Amino acid sequence: MSSADFNSRVLTRVPRHDFVGRGDELDRIVKHANAQNGRGLLLLMTPSAGCSELLRQAYDQLFNQQSDIIPLYYAFTRHETTAVSAAIEFLQTVLQQYLAFRRKEPALCRAPITLQDVLELAPSSDLEWIEPLVKMYERIRFSNDNKALVRFCLGAPQRIPVRSGKAFVMFDGAQLADDLNGSVVLGAELLRVFGRSGQSFVIAGLRRQILDSARAAESNFELLDLLRLEQLRSEEAHSLVDHVALRSKVVLSREVRDLLVQQFDGSPFFITNFLQAARDRNLALNTYLDCERLYVDELLGGHIHHHFTNLLEEMAPHIDKRVRLIRVMWEAAASDEKSASVEGWRRRLEVEPAEFENTLHQLHIQEFVNWTGATVDATTGSQTWKDYLRVAYRLAIKADSRALVVAETIADSLKRAPNTMARHYKQSDRIDLRRVVGTFDCQRVPAVLFDYRDFSKTYKGMDEVELQSQIASEANLVKLPQIVHVASCYAFDSGSRKAYEEERCVVAHGFEDGIYTDAQQTVWLIADLESKLEVDLELAKSWFDRLDSLARQNDFQRYRVWLISNEGFDEPAGDLLRQHEAFCSSKRQLEILIQQIGATLAMQPAPVETADEFLMVVPMGEENELLAASAVEQIARRLTFPPQAINQIKTAIVEACINASEHSHSPDRKIYQRFRVESDKLVVTISSRGIMPTNIGSNNAHLSKQESSDSAAEERRGWGLKLIRSLMDEVEFQRVDEGTSLRMTKYLRTS
Amino acid sequence: MDISTGATVKSHCVGTTAIVYASDYLNKLTGEQIERECRRQLDSGCRALVIDFADTQLVNSIGISILLGIIDIAEKSGAQVVFSDVNNQTIQLFDMLGLTRHVALAKNEQEALSTLSGFNPTLTLH
Repeated sequence: MSSADFNSRVLTRVPRHDFVGRGDELDRIVKHANAQNGRGLLLLMTPSAGCSELLRQAYDQLFNQQSDIIPLYYAFTRHETTAVSAAIEFLQTVLQQYLAFRRKEPALCRAPITLQDVLELAPSSDLEWIEPLVKMYERIRFSNDNKALVRFCLGAPQRIPVRSGKAFVMFDGAQLADDLNGSVVLGAELLRVFGRSGQSFVIAGLRRQILDSARAAESNFELLDLLRLEQLRSEEAHSLVDHVALRSKVVLSREVRDLLVQQFDGSPFFITNFLQAARDRNLALNTYLDCERLYVDELLGGHIHHHFTNLLEEMAPHIDKRVRLIRVMWEAAASDEKSASVEGWRRRLEVEPAEFENTLHQLHIQEFVNWTGATVDATTGSQTWKDYLRVAYRLAIKADSRALVVAETIADSLKRAPNTMARHYKQSDRIDLRRVVGTFDCQRVPAVLFDYRDFSKTYKGMDEVELQSQIASEANLVKLPQIVHVASCYAFDSGSRKAYEEERCVVAHGFEDGIYTDAQQTVWLIADLESKLEVDLELAKSWFDRLDSLARQNDFQRYRVWLISNEGFDEPAGDLLRQHEAFCSSKRQLEILIQQIGATLAMQPAPVETADEFLMVVPMGEENELLAASAVEQIARRLTFPPQAINQIKTAIVEACINASEHSHSPDRKIYQRFRVESDKLVVTISSRGIMPTNIGSNNAHLSKQESSDSAAEERRGWGLKLIRSLMDEVEFQRVDEGTSLRMTKYLRTS
Repeated sequence: MDISTGATVKSHCVGTTAIVYASDYLNKLTGEQIERECRRQLDSGCRALVIDFADTQLVNSIGISILLGIIDIAEKSGAQVVFSDVNNQTIQLFDMLGLTRHVALAKNEQEALSTLSGFNPTLTLH
């Protein structure tokens, strides 16, 4: 057995540098250990957020620290069936890890040793407490007093003499403790024993279960700290995918990486298991198709399948009940019914009230449902859970053929993937309205920021410096309310969920002047509309009516409608909104407002990716299309294209870049350009990531001025594509998993 | 001759005709600047607009759509519009998008003024 050095891996499964996304939480646990203030830390985990490796990393850090803090880690597993056997296993683990720490021998933690081995390996200075402990354990073990035995085992860390150090125990998977058979409820017992021990400790598990246990144990919450463990944020999850893929030698594209993060909602558990499945099958994940095929394999028989199947088997050990449970849950989830009757569920499940309550409790703990007494909502589970449930339902209840289920699930997943990414990109691209209104706080801002027509008349086309200066000197100011609550519109009108995108349409409750009286109470209903050009009367009216109706339905006494659109509103739309005293702003006005009130935009540029040698990468905007045009001019000159042709190529590239910038909601805000020179032609490929425009490849240019004014949005889009097709010899749009790829060829003519 | 020294778009007036100079790249930003200047000139009483493209090397479709808007605005104000000194490549683009059906083209600023003078006998040149 080798001695520990500063970076020994003891319990961790991945090296520290490969452990991504939980740095803050790791620091918090280690600080908690080092503080030794006798407080407990409850680590409240969202299902499948993963906390085991976090605790093991904390363990290794403390082990390598070799201070007077003695780290002890114990994970409850499904293999233990009773509270007594789990407690005995805990005692064994404590002694084994104590010895490993004292002897600085990491391998001892993993060695298969017995209590007799412990006695033999213990330093002589420790025998004086370990020997009596083992003897007492053997006496109590055969006393038939299970409660005494459990308490004795759990109390083992307290028997470590102060001169040897202070034990710091971390319990993992504590939700399993309550499922153990026997006369002792272990989860609550843990909290009782450690809550009174005066030692610092961590108990980690599913958030709903841990809090329930703490209440059942009548814990003193003043002595408990809480640490919530959510799913990873996007950038952390991207990093996790990259690290796991590299470690597992799984080749995957950026598009698949991003899809995995969204599809699994940043869950480290699912992401890691999925990539391990790819490694096991030696699969490369280059396309959405590669990804979804493996996903469906996983749903039907892989890690994901086993994870959910095991949970269901615990909740409903008998097959008949399990099948009924799958039926009831899937039908409730599919119907989108948010408040089904609990009694109705019980009748359909055909179980006794006590057993039913236990099942419902477990479903609630796993967050497959939200159970609030008389009603149950099965629409809340993760997408992966719902996919598993649907597959299980089709196979077990509908008895569909496996081939059909596989084929249709792959097809459905593939159809869903671009929408998943589109939704994500739109959300990333949007301005966070919640944050904006949350910063209002009774500040005074120029009224012109809420009236697009006035703004357009005075400021459109104005030089930026002059604009900032004039905005600063605006005398007509409005005082914003203090906002006290913001929620999505569909939280107020669940019947119209599809009409509202969560973050683009919000209801903000507040008070004028920050005075909390009925007279000062106000509600702002805000929608950020999607439109490439000025919003017309029809769209403005439909949104005004929708929000106005929402306000009336909810009996808001004083309210204000505020519509926002990228390019503002045309005159009739502006007139209508003004008539109803509604506010309307362009994105530019909103940006200025944000500057004025000091809010921060949610939109963050993605990190720069490395371009390969054939690629020229240009950031979107800032007239950077001119850089692309300039580059192609140099290349075309080498091919001796005549000046007119060069100008045509340049114009086509400018249009392609504008098209990519305008339509893609690109996550990295970059345009990728490939120039290929051949003997008789120049081939230019312009691509960007993001969303494929629905009309891509269409050729509906409107040439007459009258026609164009009738359909302004199509006009501009149509003009760009029309120009490209006219100026280049061959133009081809290629559909890729996400984004657009436009290939343009210009032939060199000798004439 | 009334010379405007606007921060971004050069222009000057010859009688009731405003001559507005487009920059080397006509896009959304510079198009809106031209539109703003044209509106300003019309509001101050100009009855005709000459937009000079002598410096313009490159145009894009958004810039062209804004030009179309300017022609509309001028029409509503009863003003004439002439584009002057447009290079061949840009004329080709204007043709493709039908813009040349709605506006007169002149070889240079002088020809534009003459065209307007011929069209409107009351126009006075200084």
